[in-house]
Amino acid sequence: MTTLDTVPTMAVRGTRAWRTLSTSRTALIGLSIVAVHVLIALLAPLLTSYDPIANDAGHALLGPSWSHWAGTDQYGRDVLARVLYGGRYALGISVTATLLTVALGTVIGCAAALRGGWFDDVLGRVLDAILSIPSVLALLVVVTALGTGPAVIVLAVAVTYVPQVVRVVRGAALAVVPADYVTAARARGESTWSILRREILPNITDVVCVEFAMRASWVVLLISSLSFLGFGADPPTPDWGLMVAENRTAITVVPMASLAPIIALATLVVGLNLAADGLSKAWGVDRIREGS
Amino acid sequence: MASIISVNSLSVAYRSGGRDVPVVHEVSLDVAEGQTHALVGESGSGKSTIAATLLGHLRHGSRITGGSVEVAGADVFALPARELRRLRGGTVAMVGQNAGHALTPSMRIGRQIAEAGGDVPVVDLLEQVRLPHPTELARRYPHELSGGQQQRVAIAMAIAARPKVLVLDEPTTGLDVVTQRSVLDLIAALRDELGLAAVLVSHDLGVVAHMADEVTVLRSGRVVESAPTRQLFAQPQDPYTKRLLASVPRLDDAGLAVVGEAGEREVRPRAEIPDDAPVAVSAQDVTIDYGKTRAVHGVSFDVRRGEVLALVGESGSGKSTLAWSLAGLRTPSGGTMRHADGDLAPPAQQRPLSLRRRVQLVFQNADTSLNPRRSVGDAVRHPLRFFGTVTDRTEAAERARQLITDVRLDPALADRLPAQLSGGQRQRIGIARALAGEPDVLIADEITTALDVSVQADVLRLLDDLRRERDLACLFISHDLAVVRGIADRVVVLRHGVVVEEGPTETVFADPQHPYTRQLMAAALEPDPDALPYVDDTADWADGADGDDIWTDHGDDGHRVRRWRPLNAPVAEGIL
Repeated sequence: MTTLDTVPTMAVRGTRAWRTLSTSRTALIGLSIVAVHVLIALLAPLLTSYDPIANDAGHALLGPSWSHWAGTDQYGRDVLARVLYGGRYALGISVTATLLTVALGTVIGCAAALRGGWFDDVLGRVLDAILSIPSVLALLVVVTALGTGPAVIVLAVAVTYVPQVVRVVRGAALAVVPADYVTAARARGESTWSILRREILPNITDVVCVEFAMRASWVVLLISSLSFLGFGADPPTPDWGLMVAENRTAITVVPMASLAPIIALATLVVGLNLAADGLSKAWGVDRIREGS
Repeated sequence: MASIISVNSLSVAYRSGGRDVPVVHEVSLDVAEGQTHALVGESGSGKSTIAATLLGHLRHGSRITGGSVEVAGADVFALPARELRRLRGGTVAMVGQNAGHALTPSMRIGRQIAEAGGDVPVVDLLEQVRLPHPTELARRYPHELSGGQQQRVAIAMAIAARPKVLVLDEPTTGLDVVTQRSVLDLIAALRDELGLAAVLVSHDLGVVAHMADEVTVLRSGRVVESAPTRQLFAQPQDPYTKRLLASVPRLDDAGLAVVGEAGEREVRPRAEIPDDAPVAVSAQDVTIDYGKTRAVHGVSFDVRRGEVLALVGESGSGKSTLAWSLAGLRTPSGGTMRHADGDLAPPAQQRPLSLRRRVQLVFQNADTSLNPRRSVGDAVRHPLRFFGTVTDRTEAAERARQLITDVRLDPALADRLPAQLSGGQRQRIGIARALAGEPDVLIADEITTALDVSVQADVLRLLDDLRRERDLACLFISHDLAVVRGIADRVVVLRHGVVVEEGPTETVFADPQHPYTRQLMAAALEPDPDALPYVDDTADWADGADGDDIWTDHGDDGHRVRRWRPLNAPVAEGIL
């Protein structure tokens, strides 16, 4: 394709996606919340002058004041600074894990739908087996076996969530596979990968986007649970799950030290859920209305 | 006679982008009790919208902008919800296009019909729609029934509450000719039996001529012409009606009909194929299996360059399976398929690229044959580059524009998405995409079935032009004998995967020998209410081929018929 004539179609597609998106208030609110979280995590050093990991025994367990808006924890660290920096770990690991999960799941799901036959059957049974294990349990098994660390956690999340993504994507792709343009590509003898990329993926991007937003909220929760249980971020890394775990004993003295990370986590998850909901509705309705 | 339906200057519009888009514009019609009124038009003419208003239904976002709809004395759109519900099913019942979609898959037939209301026992209803073994059938699920049977069940549900009006929205579209004929006969019989008034929506002028007392021709939501059926078909007044009527292919056309602006009709003579034209594809004793079921039993044929060979048969006759095998999408289990450049037995991926591009497929459904997310220009450019017929991008763009022009479209359409094109334009792009590989064999699988009749005529003419210009061998698959008559040079009639008759089009149509061919021809509906059946007698028969003695030859032009013997019928003509 020449850049000359694909640009208009891309632009048309882009404006259409944006137009339908802007009609959904839910999606807009959700995406804005997530955007604010991302901005805060990126700009944390500019937003606070405190070091999130520097201990200051002289100012431990302070209540909210003008110098420490959310007070300090038992080591005298500024809670607000830790909350602002805390998003970095949660978001970074979650986004990486979700990207990997959704990418793997999409490719496997599409391939299963396209190839069918024994590949699809065997894959289905294997996925059933993995799905029958509770996700936190599976995660803990992987982490205990391979040790903690960001790479292991990302891998563990992928193992537990890929099967669910495969299910959803395979379902969406199954609706596209019988279409004649896919048959035409097969009759041309094109490779499975090129059929996936050219003919199938562009027609299920909406499903994949919604799936991404939905999985992201699950993954954020799961990773924070891991940190809370002591298998995720290592102290003194600022992380929301870890902060709750560290400060819950002092919750009667400095409630903000536990509440602030909880509020941060809750808003992020709510934002992701709203985005997922809004996106699916906006794009689902759009498809019915335009009859394609 | 009192009219039971009266639509008075009805206008319907939907809102799009902040303004009203009219769908139906001041349409009026009256239907007397016991009469059948047909609404005819091409897609987008508003015929289904009008039919749905009789049940008080409007598509989401549409509204009435003027006029009224009265059924049995009640203004439909002024009725309170409860009475509207009573009207639907009780007074007016609808039979839709695809009965398979109208029936709940997880509910037994008997329960579904009982749900439709009324006091008539389910078994009586099933008997009334001429379904065999009604008691047993009531216990089955919809997927265990054939398309024709499903449509009969839908009709049974419609008449369950003994309505006064039947709304038939394309009741037989998608059914085979033979099934279509029997469903139409059933509807006609029930209508007379129960004294129903009917509104028939159809794009098929043959169906309309066969069923209706009065016809209203619609175009873009406006009435073009309204007249009693005989008068309309004998002396159409409006040029649009004339063009529409002239576009319908007939069983006795000796070639493709070319229709003029004012609806005059001229039959173009067939292309001459030189006797020494080389064979492009040859199939010998091809058998194709789906698991344990054999879809195609030992079919043989040759297609020469520049020739159109038609495969004719009902759904399930194996004609599309054969096409898919030739295209390399399904490996045959026996026999040989050869192209001048190599063996066609292996699947597409294992064929050499030079052979793959020689055999190309055009699809039935133009809506799904193009990727909705890619511009139509891209759809043509991609195979050009894939097959290596062009070297760089500029050349690809140039050639794609040329191909789009070759299928008689404006190359400026190249930047559009398929959704922005009409059905006919999309089908042309499908043809252009197939031509990108510079094939010498084109497989056209029911390519005009989903198109409006005037568009169908254009696409057929394009196909005929292309095979003349490019010397294409064309395998034309269709269930519509009238279309085949116009375009094909030779015909192969398939039934349950077996060839029952083959020969030059002229000979087969002039003197059909096999009872199945005759049955197909008898079931075809001509756009003329007084048309006599094309053939009048069809014998009951059984297959008579045994061992090597399979064929009876009729003349030396290749017209041959599979042996058959009559079953408990008086001796009919055509038996030696």
